[in-house]
Parts: sequence; C-alpha cells; structure tokens
Amino acid sequence: MQSLEQLKARLEAAVPGARAEIVPNGSPAGQPSLLLDRGHGRAAAEFLRDDAELHFDYASNVTGVDWPEKTVKERVKIKKLVDGTEREAEEVRERKTGGYLEAVYHLYSMARKEGPLIIRLRTENRADRVALPSLTPVWRSCEFQEREVFDLYGVVFEGHPDLRRILMWPEFTDHPMRKDYVEPDDYEYEPTPHGEVLARARRHYPGGTAA
Amino acid sequence: MIDEGLRNELSRQGVVTTTLEELYNWGRKNSIWPLQFGLACCAIEMIAASMARFDIARFGAEVFRPSPRQADLMIVAGTVTKKMAPQIVRLYNQMPEPKYVIAMGVCAISGGPFKEGYNVLKGIDRYIPVDVHIPGCPPRPEALLHALMTLQKKIENQRLTGQGRPRHLDADAPGEFPVPDYGAHDLEPPNNPAVWRPPPMTRNE
Amino acid sequence: MKLGPYSFLTLFAVAGVVFALAPLAMAWLWARAYSPRKPGRVKNANYECGLESKATGWVQFQSQYYLYGIVFLIFDVETVFLLPFAAAFKGLSAGACAAMLVFILLLVEGLVWLCVKGVWARK
Repeated sequence: MQSLEQLKARLEAAVPGARAEIVPNGSPAGQPSLLLDRGHGRAAAEFLRDDAELHFDYASNVTGVDWPEKTVKERVKIKKLVDGTEREAEEVRERKTGGYLEAVYHLYSMARKEGPLIIRLRTENRADRVALPSLTPVWRSCEFQEREVFDLYGVVFEGHPDLRRILMWPEFTDHPMRKDYVEPDDYEYEPTPHGEVLARARRHYPGGTAA
Repeated sequence: MIDEGLRNELSRQGVVTTTLEELYNWGRKNSIWPLQFGLACCAIEMIAASMARFDIARFGAEVFRPSPRQADLMIVAGTVTKKMAPQIVRLYNQMPEPKYVIAMGVCAISGGPFKEGYNVLKGIDRYIPVDVHIPGCPPRPEALLHALMTLQKKIENQRLTGQGRPRHLDADAPGEFPVPDYGAHDLEPPNNPAVWRPPPMTRNE
Repeated sequence: MKLGPYSFLTLFAVAGVVFALAPLAMAWLWARAYSPRKPGRVKNANYECGLESKATGWVQFQSQYYLYGIVFLIFDVETVFLLPFAAAFKGLSAGACAAMLVFILLLVEGLVWLCVKGVWARK
C-alpha cells in the first residue's frame, strides 16, 4: 500500500484545490489519518473510490468526534535574548485547540484487499456552522452511519438522501455524544451506588440518607 | 369451606374437592400464555427456556403468542430503551386482563449495566406494574422457570373477592396505564408515580 | 311415548347446541359476577405492534378483483349443473355423457382463454 504521504500527493494532484493534512495519532497502535478540507470532501472521496490504483470501494465505519475548545499549555524551547547574549530558554505558550466536530471515515479496498484508510472531515465550529458534505452518494454504507453521527453529534450532512435521527426519537433535541450533554436526572433509585452515581442519587434525597 | 382433615380423607378415597376460587386460579396458573417479547440478550435465554432442555411447555406456557390480545404474561426480556418504552406500555395496555409482567434480567429491573445510557429506561417498572423480577445478566433459563413458578404461586394465592383481589377483579384499579410521550430531553412523564415510587436509599457514605 | 325416527337426531342436535353454548353462558355469568368492565382508549385500539395506528383498515380494494368474482360465478354455476349429472350418472346413456363432456369442454375453453389473456399471471 502506498504511504500516506504519497496518497496525499496524488490526491492533491488529482483533485484541483483539495488540501489534505496528515493527522498523526499518538497512541501505540494508532494509525495516522488524512484530514480533508470541507469544500472538496466529495470530490476527494470520489477520487479515492474511482482511482484505478487506490480503489477504495468500501466505507466500513463512519463515526464522529467532538473536540471541545481547549487551551493547551506547552513548553517551547526558543532562543531568547537575555542580558545581551542569545540563550536557549523555555517558554510556556498557550495554544487553543479544538472547537469543532469531526466525521471520521474508515475506508477499505475490497478489490485490492487493502486498508484501512482513515479520513476526517471537520466542521467550522460546534455551534451553528456544523455542515459537512455527505459521502453517501459515494459509498452507500455511509447512509445510516451518517444519520447516527447527525443524531448523536449534530453534524448536518449536506446531500444526504434521508437525514433524520436514527437512535433517538424525532422530538429529541439534544445530541447525546457531545461532551457538554447533560443527561436527564432519573437517578432516584440506585441499588449499589458509589462515586459519581452516588452523588447524583443523593441529590434526590435531601439529607443524604434515607428519604 | 371444607375442613382440611376431611379433605385429605376424601382425596385419599379418590374424591377431589375444591372451591371455585381454587379452580379458577388452578386453571389460570397452569395455562399462562406469554407474549413473545424479547428485546435483547435475555430473549436468547427465554428462547432457551422454551427449548427441549429446559422446556417451559411443562408449565403450560409453550405457546408464545405474537399478539398481545391473546397473551396473559409479558416477559420483558432485555434492555428497555426510552424509544421503545411507549410501545411496551401500549402493548401492555392492549393485553386483556388478567395480565402479569415478569421483568427478566437486570436491564428490565433497573437499567442494568447500561444504566447510565442516554437512551436506557431505568427499569420497566417505572411505567407498568411488575409481578416478578428476575435478577441476572442474563438469568439462566432455570431462573426464568423459577420465576414462572413464583408467579404461579402468586396466582394461586389470589382471592376472588375481598381484600386480596387481583387488579382485574377490582373495579377501582386502573384498566390501562398512561403511555409516556416523547419529550425534548426525556420521556414525559419520566415515570408513573402511581406505579413506581423509588425505594428509600439507605446507604450512607 | 312413541319414539319417532327423528327423535334421536333431535336429541343429539339439541345436546350439541347446548354443549357448545353452555361454556359460553357460564363464562358470561362468571364475568357478570366477578369481572368489572374496564375499557380504555389504548386498550381497545387497533393492534399495531405497540405503535399508534395512522389510519383505519378500511381501504379501497382494487377493481381488478372483479375478474376473480366473474370466474368464480361461471365455475360455480358449472358445478351446480354437474351435481345432478353426477347423482343420476348410473342411469344415463352414452349420449348424455357426451353432451356433458361438450359442456365441460366449452367451459375449459373459457378457462384456457383466461390463461392466455394473462389473468392468472403475477402482476
């Protein structure tokens, strides 16, 4: 299989205007993924499916990730002028990450028995600009899974033939898999509570013990 | 009422005596027809209980009815999601009286291992009255048979008139239970206060 | 008492009807004595696997079903004519059998015509 860099180069050459970025994965078994830009998502997906050498014809999994805004403090080694001489010093820099929703696709090539290739599509923000191009016209198996991402994360897929909730009921308004989801408080009865669940159950019993 | 000693004497001679109440309960308890209601993994154990090795047919309960109109026992086997809960209550309402509910497995009792799930109803007894609870994840088919026998004992002890009357003979007891609606964040109402009152929590940590 | 030829028949007919109706009557009496009536909106609703029914079951049936009605009528009348023929079969001559055969063949020709027209084909 080609390396991810070669694939990225081919993609950027074949689809004019497409920009891809390799997102590394820090975990030991983690696979790096390819972040596609929103505007050319559909065209890039069609290239990945139709190209004779790549031939990714099967999208096995579509899932969502919620990246809330986070401020990351990192120590950066920089050269600073201290007392007239240039010295290496460490400085703590703050960096904001996150603030978007992602849809992650796992692609396999059944014809060439290769894969997986992981591609990501990112929304602009988590609040109102949450649209992404739907890849259902490219791979049919994305249909229900994109509905699940819509239901649980709130990502609106443009071009999806039938975008509605699949797990929760249609009148439900929240998106349960987001990090800021507040679940309804029905913890009145807890047979063996401990930890956080005990705290939640206690709220129903003023006084802390027997009702 | 006939004296116990006389009764035993007569039965030894081959004469069976009974009361109307006993006869009524005997007929009902030995022919409980369950409603085919498997939701999740406990359904597999329920199916296993109906197969040859464990054989629920011995108890008169092998005809699992597909329609609630012909059933008198609903074995809620499996996790009850909030999306499914109104349908369960509607099916329970559509069963003709006398009807009984067995909550099989911890998911039907209290939500089970998936209790903190956003779509999991924490126990079906929040909306419908449950007669027998079977703990287990999943309970063995023998546990389901034990629950069936417990239900049979319960039916045996039901009176025809007076205080210990079952719900279907009592004109004041409700005939149907309200079906929850789909709300914006949760089912409305989240439970039925007439049916379920949370037991007092006595752990103090 | 003189027992007529039909007396046992009458007796068994009455006993059969009583045997069928007696449990129903007992159940009705029992329900009147012990079980109060408890109808409800959801309890009496149409069974739709736990969902609310969107419409009633009264739909307009397709008018193509008239063909089945006509075919049934024709062959039913043929059967009515065949029955006395079958009852009197032993005493009839060969010419009568030939006439009946012609009758049946005419109707079979009608059946063949229906097959050719494609009435029995799956739509």
